[in-house]
Amino acid sequence: MNALVSSSPAQLLSGKPLRFIAAGILLINGLFPALWILFTSLKTEGELTEKPITWFPQAPTLANYVQAFSDQPLHLFLFNSFMVALLSTCLTLLVSVLAAYALARLNLRYRGLILSVIVAVSTFPLVTLLVPLFEIMRALNLLNTWIALILPYTVLSLPVCTLILVSFFEGIPRDLENAAMIDGCTRLGALFKVVVPLSAPGVFTAGILAFVNAWDEFLLALSFNSNPTLRTLPVGIQLYQGEFAFPWPVISAALVVGIVPVAILIVIFQERVVSGLTAGGIKG
Amino acid sequence: MAVLSISARDSAKDSERPSPVWIRWLDLSDRAMAVLLLLPAAVLLALIIVYPIGRLVYTSFFNLSLTSGLPAEFVGLENYRIMLDDPVFWETTWNTVLITLITVPGALLLGLGLALLANLPFAMQWPVRLSLLIPWALPLSFAGLIFAWFFHYEYGVVNDVLNRLGFEGVIWFNSPNWAFAAICLTIIWKTSSFMALIILAGLQTIPRSLYEAADVDGAGRLRQFFEITLPLLKPAIVVALIFRTITALQTFDIPYMMTGGGPGSSTATLAMYIHQNTVSFLDLGYGSALAVVMFILSMGVTAIYLRVIRTREA
Repeated sequence: MNALVSSSPAQLLSGKPLRFIAAGILLINGLFPALWILFTSLKTEGELTEKPITWFPQAPTLANYVQAFSDQPLHLFLFNSFMVALLSTCLTLLVSVLAAYALARLNLRYRGLILSVIVAVSTFPLVTLLVPLFEIMRALNLLNTWIALILPYTVLSLPVCTLILVSFFEGIPRDLENAAMIDGCTRLGALFKVVVPLSAPGVFTAGILAFVNAWDEFLLALSFNSNPTLRTLPVGIQLYQGEFAFPWPVISAALVVGIVPVAILIVIFQERVVSGLTAGGIKG
Repeated sequence: MAVLSISARDSAKDSERPSPVWIRWLDLSDRAMAVLLLLPAAVLLALIIVYPIGRLVYTSFFNLSLTSGLPAEFVGLENYRIMLDDPVFWETTWNTVLITLITVPGALLLGLGLALLANLPFAMQWPVRLSLLIPWALPLSFAGLIFAWFFHYEYGVVNDVLNRLGFEGVIWFNSPNWAFAAICLTIIWKTSSFMALIILAGLQTIPRSLYEAADVDGAGRLRQFFEITLPLLKPAIVVALIFRTITALQTFDIPYMMTGGGPGSSTATLAMYIHQNTVSFLDLGYGSALAVVMFILSMGVTAIYLRVIRTREA
């Protein structure tokens, strides 16, 4: 119980019961909304309109999940979201690995300027480019394709990923790379055979951030893909609302299906995500 | 360290094999190499950001409405003049500014509180971390839907709790003020976890010895917080605040999902008005002029950000 004797602001609340309360507050604040949606998704339509409302499902049912998949092509929404997020993540990583290597290793004359541009782009409001991007995608015949989303999403995550990778690459001793080059490896060979494998944690961190960014994006997906079979999850989920009816249990079931994949990713890689966020914090 | 040396040896072994031809072909001087490596990023930025910005400003000087079927007509600053006389433009801009002014400090305060709690010496760290990461990873649009359900007049959990505490339930989405409040609360909840994660990382870098020294000097807990914790957290907080401000100016998903901008346009944001003019009305000229205003707003904040970073490095 080192914590009890040490001095830090933690001591303000370091009694065991108080720590218990603190944990309770954190867990309720963070997990209650997701839990509430889970409970709602297990309730019958009848139970939902009972007054006073019930908190725990009285007769848990999976019927809403079945209906979520039969009312709308939820499997297609999942597939589209997954593929768009995965492909844009791969593209982001490829482009940012190359750029980060140039910034970390080659002595560029305009390094400071380029880094400033990257930071400026990381704060760029994509919504302002709705009109021109819409026009460009229409001109290139890319509306209602994955590519219309993959390209902007790649740009969306490019700055953070590059900044994260620059800091990782700078931590790799140059000697290792030089040794590889003396052994007959080219620069690019050394990058992909030595630097990238040694920076695997950084590459991974950047990848997860890019994936979550793409998985969450709503406005461009809403505007560029009107074809129902190409919708991503956040856009598709709106389709469950009828003109007057709001089938909350079914919507909740669809939301749970949409939350689970990313939640699993987060549970497994939580430490990576935290380090990535603090290295190049970007998403609100 | 062991991992490091093993993989280094593996890579050295790999490199004994001759490189493929295309890689050897790319073995250029440093300068040519740098240009080549930065090229893909530059092409993407040119296609998705630089060219569209030029196109945006250009289109904003035209009367271009896809519904009219007429060709684009140059009208100079006409779109901007219309904008200044457009009450909905002022209303949505004001809503956006108000959302920023309320939710950015709100998320900072809640995030600071959560970070201080999460920094306690818990036996298990992962549940605490997850309780901050799950809200961060939740899509904004999902958060909007979930909280629309929370604030439901009849079956929402918020009114249920209010009733249990002896208060009257509120018809949240029928009144402009309550709807606005519900949206702000949702945004604060959703964005505070990001603030908390950034601040928590800052807290963990503060050396304990500082507090021990303060204890010896007889400084109270509150004084320690204001004279050690807050000043040392300032850099982390400033960066988080600027990012949050820029994303707050772009607020779209949450009000779109919760109220659709209603009642009337009392909860609509500038981003929603841009989207409506562009995608629903197909009035590209006017939509562009609106977007130019938002672009200038957020570039202003970005300029401040770059300045902060530069003075810190200096």
